[in-house]
Amino acid sequence: MEKQCYTAQQRRAANLVWTAAGAYGFDPMFLASHSDGTPDFYMNCVVGLVRKYYGDEIPRALFALWEEDRRQPLLDDLTWLFLESAVYANELPCRPVLSELRREHAEEFFGQEYQLSRQEWMSKNQLVYTMQAARWRSVQGRNPPVMTPYESRLAAALAPDRTPDPQELTPAVLQVFERFALFDGKVQPKAAVRLHFEGLAAKILSKTHPVQLVRTDRLTVGQSVAAEGEGKGPRQDLRGALVELRQNGEEDRNYIESCFGRSLYPPERLARAEQQLCAGVHLGCHLWFSSGVPRPEQARTGDARRLADQAELQAERNRKFFAQNRELYQGAIGRLTGQIRNSILIHRQPDALCARTGKLDAARVWRMAVMEDDRVFLRAEEENRPAFTVDLLLDASASRLHCQEIIAAQGYILAESLRRCAIPVRVSAFCSLRGYTVVRVLKDFGQRDAGGTFRYFASGWNRDGLALRAAGDLTDFAPGPADRHLLILLTDASPNDSRRIPPGPGYPLGAAYDGPAAVNDAAAEVRALERKGIRVSAVFMGPGPAGKDAGTIYGPNLARITGMDQLAAAAGRLIQRQIRSLDD
Amino acid sequence: MTKILDFLREEQIDPALVQELARYQAAHPLDGALCSRVPVPRYLYYGREIWEQAIAALLCGENLLLAGGKATGKNVLAENLAMAFGRPSWDISFHVNMDASTLIGMDTFVGGQVVFRPGPVYSCAVSGGFGILDEINMARNEALAVLHATLDFRRSIDVPGYDRIPLAEETRFIATMNYGYAGTRELNEALTSRFVVIQMPPIGEENLKKLLTAQFPGLKAKYADQFARLFLDLQKKCESAEISTRALDLRGMLDAIRLMYRGVPAETALDMGITNKAFDTYEQGLIRDVIHARIPRGLDRTRLFE
Repeated sequence: MEKQCYTAQQRRAANLVWTAAGAYGFDPMFLASHSDGTPDFYMNCVVGLVRKYYGDEIPRALFALWEEDRRQPLLDDLTWLFLESAVYANELPCRPVLSELRREHAEEFFGQEYQLSRQEWMSKNQLVYTMQAARWRSVQGRNPPVMTPYESRLAAALAPDRTPDPQELTPAVLQVFERFALFDGKVQPKAAVRLHFEGLAAKILSKTHPVQLVRTDRLTVGQSVAAEGEGKGPRQDLRGALVELRQNGEEDRNYIESCFGRSLYPPERLARAEQQLCAGVHLGCHLWFSSGVPRPEQARTGDARRLADQAELQAERNRKFFAQNRELYQGAIGRLTGQIRNSILIHRQPDALCARTGKLDAARVWRMAVMEDDRVFLRAEEENRPAFTVDLLLDASASRLHCQEIIAAQGYILAESLRRCAIPVRVSAFCSLRGYTVVRVLKDFGQRDAGGTFRYFASGWNRDGLALRAAGDLTDFAPGPADRHLLILLTDASPNDSRRIPPGPGYPLGAAYDGPAAVNDAAAEVRALERKGIRVSAVFMGPGPAGKDAGTIYGPNLARITGMDQLAAAAGRLIQRQIRSLDD
Repeated sequence: MTKILDFLREEQIDPALVQELARYQAAHPLDGALCSRVPVPRYLYYGREIWEQAIAALLCGENLLLAGGKATGKNVLAENLAMAFGRPSWDISFHVNMDASTLIGMDTFVGGQVVFRPGPVYSCAVSGGFGILDEINMARNEALAVLHATLDFRRSIDVPGYDRIPLAEETRFIATMNYGYAGTRELNEALTSRFVVIQMPPIGEENLKKLLTAQFPGLKAKYADQFARLFLDLQKKCESAEISTRALDLRGMLDAIRLMYRGVPAETALDMGITNKAFDTYEQGLIRDVIHARIPRGLDRTRLFE
């Protein structure tokens, strides 16, 4: 099963669940947390124990019975009280500490009463609160709260004398709900309210509320939703790829320059690069290499100023997200640094130099007596010069809108780990817009601080084939301090651009830049880079069918990840593989 | 010597093997000077099948490669075997800068003359000892090539410029390795073929309890059980890569219980023995959560020991 991305607190909560379940490799169905976001120790243990005693399917099917019902929160909470009672009795003999944890939880429950705001009190369901209070008071050995006979009977029913077996669980819970007229097996859905606005109202609302534009030929910085814990990412409107877009050379160039800033390349070098690289299936396309987006005060046009504001806002969000999970990410940096350093240490072949101290070189001993040369020892010379550089090229197209903060954080982890190992690293992001494939260098080889990675944002399309050509050219233009180069791409292996492939030998009528045509183009570019001596690897994260395309494009040098939070570790593995191959 | 034989009988090791071992000890007495090199291990290895495999292999004259993860008892078993066979042992810890001369020996100056100073493999070979090659896959394969003739049927050491030395008949080599461990490399086929390999299983719950009870006879059975389960919980968390292997430290847990016996509260002792070995504060939090899900807060010596 795929593991989803967790924040630091969520990962801690998930770990509590996994520990209690004695199993890993699944995403917990529920994570329990206090109102301040910290994990609820005991209830997460209960979630894990439910998995241990009832497996994954039975509880999942049970909670699904009243999904979307208007009483869902009430039924969920009461079911958890039932399950808590069941698994506590089962687990206590082999985990005596549980009684103490349960008592602590009861104390926390009543302790929190004084910290809740009026809104939090109002959001609580009275019946649930009474049942919880009855349970935790009994745990503390106190008298139950004042309850109606109905409530007393319900409280007793939620703490069954005999723990139900897995196959008895669902009927037992449903029987309780039916007996107390809480749920009769039929879902009564909440009425959904959906409003549709057009014209002026839509214009006004889109200015005052968060909006998300997916792929257009106007540069926008959309807000990620995954980092805030909801949403499954934007839908890509692939039909847009077939639309021939307005072409106006001078205007487009000005637009790109105003949005992304001046090109890193001098004009004549850029013209030469375009002439050489924007050929074949990329005929009519353009390239732009920049070091980022101008600051709002430097922006020349209204559009550029708006983009600069949005880009700064996204950078701020990226930094904030990293800061919120600093503990988790600093640990990841430490681990990755250790692994890479270790690989370097193992595979480095230090040169032996003649020295006045060190290991005695028997073959030179005679020189001491005969020539009075006291350099008869060998000393290992530490290599100061890096053996290779790493280029991390991040797909910054709109398909990454939903996880910009995570990508920025993972890019930072990787860049910082490599920096600590003295491996030169450059982090760039690429996207395509109005026929321009733009490579933005977020952190260059010479920069010590990897913080530039936080300037990552996603927008536009991705013409992977041309981006690969551009990355190769950037390596020629600014190769960094080593002769060998490793290029690592973050990709969804779904190249897709608004600019069509022009009619030519391969495509007499031209073709849309997507599907097999784009995949074959990207694969050919990877082979071309490898012929140039650049080792190309990729970290793939995308939908299942694209996995085959990723294999076609990158061959064996591919690491698949199921969550964006695995990016740095996967790239780390590719780098370690590269270090091992230095011996070859 | 008889103590270890008694232990093996208690562990229900095949009586024929134990008898063979006793016969081997009697047939290969040790000189006085080397007696101090026979290890007296602090811990005994628990695991009947592994004991039987290892004793049989060594009696057949084979060299052993013990492969397994952290805390599987590779070094404990290697020391136990040297004691069981009554042979002196040489511990050779491998590292990346290990070379042939570190193993076999090198030239040095003595009284203005260049003379050969034997290395641990050489000393072990001439004394009929047990050479424990710890973390053998940390060294470069080129450095290990010098051992090929020592480990195979030739059973000799050829030092360039000196005589060819045959290995004493009792000499055995026991290598340990943690495959896939950070900082290790693939062991080449030529070297691997010179060993018989035992894949060391992770210590099981029952053997862990035996170990705890043997080390701490006063520890209440209820807590011996919880400490054993705590170790297994940490093991699972390591296997799933949620925490690093730093915290998977059986020695650390035994040290922590020793501290508890001396009066240090359980929480502090486990911090000292296990948690603080992970230097990352987030990871420390995860480890503490595992501990608290097993060991009550405020647990002290009076509740732990009888």
